Amino acid sequence: MTEKNMLLALFQEIDPAAQAVDKLRAMGIENEHVNVISGTPITEAMLGRPHQWTNVPRLAMGGAVGGLIVGIFFAFGTPALYPVYVGGQPLYPVPPSIVVLFELTMLGIMLSTFLGVFLDSRFPSYSPKVYVPEISDGYIALLIDCAPEQEEEVKKAMTEVGAESVKTAEVQPL
Amino acid sequence: MSVMAKPLAHAHGHEEHDHEAELRKEHLLLDPKPRGEMNAMVMDMMGGTTWKFWVVAAIMGALVLWGLVYSWGIMIAQGLGLAGVNQPVYWGLFLVHTVFWIGISHAGTFVSALLRVFKAEFRRPFTRAAELMTTFSLAQAAVMIFAHMGRVWLAYWMFPLPNQRQLWPNFHSPLMWDFLAINTYLLSSTMYLFLPLIPDLAMARDRSTGWRRKLYSILALGWRGTEGEWTHLRHALNIFAFAILPIMFSVHTIVSWDFAVAMRPGWSSTIFGPYFVVGAIHSGVAAVGMVLVAVRAFIKNMDYFIRPEHFDALGKLMLIISMAWAYFFFNDFMVQWYGGDRWTDELLHFHEAGKWGWIWFLMLICNIAVPWLTLWNKTIRRTPWAMFIIGLLINVGMWAERFIIVPVSLAINRMPFRWGDYEPGVEVPIFIGSVAFFILLYMLASRILPLVPVWEVQEGQMAHSIRKYGKEPVVTVSDLE
Repeated sequence: MTEKNMLLALFQEIDPAAQAVDKLRAMGIENEHVNVISGTPITEAMLGRPHQWTNVPRLAMGGAVGGLIVGIFFAFGTPALYPVYVGGQPLYPVPPSIVVLFELTMLGIMLSTFLGVFLDSRFPSYSPKVYVPEISDGYIALLIDCAPEQEEEVKKAMTEVGAESVKTAEVQPL
Repeated sequence: MSVMAKPLAHAHGHEEHDHEAELRKEHLLLDPKPRGEMNAMVMDMMGGTTWKFWVVAAIMGALVLWGLVYSWGIMIAQGLGLAGVNQPVYWGLFLVHTVFWIGISHAGTFVSALLRVFKAEFRRPFTRAAELMTTFSLAQAAVMIFAHMGRVWLAYWMFPLPNQRQLWPNFHSPLMWDFLAINTYLLSSTMYLFLPLIPDLAMARDRSTGWRRKLYSILALGWRGTEGEWTHLRHALNIFAFAILPIMFSVHTIVSWDFAVAMRPGWSSTIFGPYFVVGAIHSGVAAVGMVLVAVRAFIKNMDYFIRPEHFDALGKLMLIISMAWAYFFFNDFMVQWYGGDRWTDELLHFHEAGKWGWIWFLMLICNIAVPWLTLWNKTIRRTPWAMFIIGLLINVGMWAERFIIVPVSLAINRMPFRWGDYEPGVEVPIFIGSVAFFILLYMLASRILPLVPVWEVQEGQMAHSIRKYGKEPVVTVSDLE
């Protein structure tokens, strides 16, 4: 969904926002042409929106595998590169290696989860975008991508269900 | 004396109304304000700096210069001989303070992650204050480790890099476990601090001008609050909350193994892991209580967000943790005492009746007697200054515990001709410098970062309501997450 020629409807409460989503669907505006922006987390189910896909858990699993591989290299690979036998101790002792494997696996999970948020959300992104500061005051904004001939009808429908304002969306620096 | 008559017909209605008003006054999550107003309060906290703030900051800065720059600098120039460590007490206050700061750091994660996992709603307004404590206290633990190293410029020998002869560090050494565990915890807790901060940084960006706006714009990364952004953040926070807990447990367990894997009287114990973890949580939660009292007293508008209910909940936690600590202490003591090993008996006797015996008793008084005699009382738990003093005493007790375990236990070993004593030297000013550095970092952070996670508080307020059960108004919580 591009963010050009869009309408931005602002709602103070969640119920009218949910009604607005239903109304837009009834008017033939597909889910992918509507985006919701809010100052508090609102789940898809609350607004009757389709499930949002996220890669973060998969990336976390990938990070765990990556961390484990680095851990295996540290615990078993580095002694093999330059074997030093100390006091008859084994070169590859298992119990101390578990500590290394655990820490690096967990570090892999954490780093990849953190980076996953950046990748999935495309952060950092400082280019101007459609936004209004009222959103962080708790308002819910619906960004509606509709055909120019539908604009008036959408504005009227949004106002009817309780939108505080409906206007053409403008990009602004973030 | 006059007696006011109440109309009987309305008495019950008034009582219900009063009860509801009391519930709202008691619980932050039942006493919502418009989000814009809460945002303004949080922005006001960061902006309203008085001259007193800068005087305290200057004093802390001077202590940092004296302790961490001058004293440490002199030690680097003249050598580790300025510290009190020598055979047989080769680990002194530097390691006591390393363990102490790592212990303090446990509270941020404990309060934030564990209470998030168990959906303990009272956590919401102070998770960030606790998480900040974790990050800043881990930084102090790192300072102490570097000081303990003596030749700090060789710290890179610990990095996972091969030397000129292609020989790697030995990852099977407890020193490398420490390196990996503390760094994993430091990185994880910093990321865990930053992620939930992003929406609040965006809020601050929307309400700032000048350099603050530029700073918040950079830090907020372009956050708007789209469905996708919230979904990714929510999933990430859930993963962090679950995954950071085993890391937290592992860090202090590994710190305990620094001692427990050595065949020394007093150290070679199989329960040192959980004993250290419980001790860390004991000092950490007490420190959270102290920080909350301080921020509530000195930061504008904090009394709306931090209420007696929060001290009450923390007080109960502190009492339970104190009981758990007492259990582990006694468990460790009992087995060693019953074992009958001659040198262990000597050491236990030295703990109680030796030169530092008063510290051993101070440990028991502060860690057990003080919380048990006070925290059962609801009035005390809800009194901020009392909670500050109790928190301070618990931290003194936990410091004493680490002092007993490290230098005092090293003084007695299996070779009586090698017994010795410990007198701290340059460690004292360096520790004072690190405490001042911690306070200074916290003070400066409180001017730049929103100390209250506003979106989490609002989410909690959306989830809480009062409904009538029969005629009784009761608090209900909806699971919105």
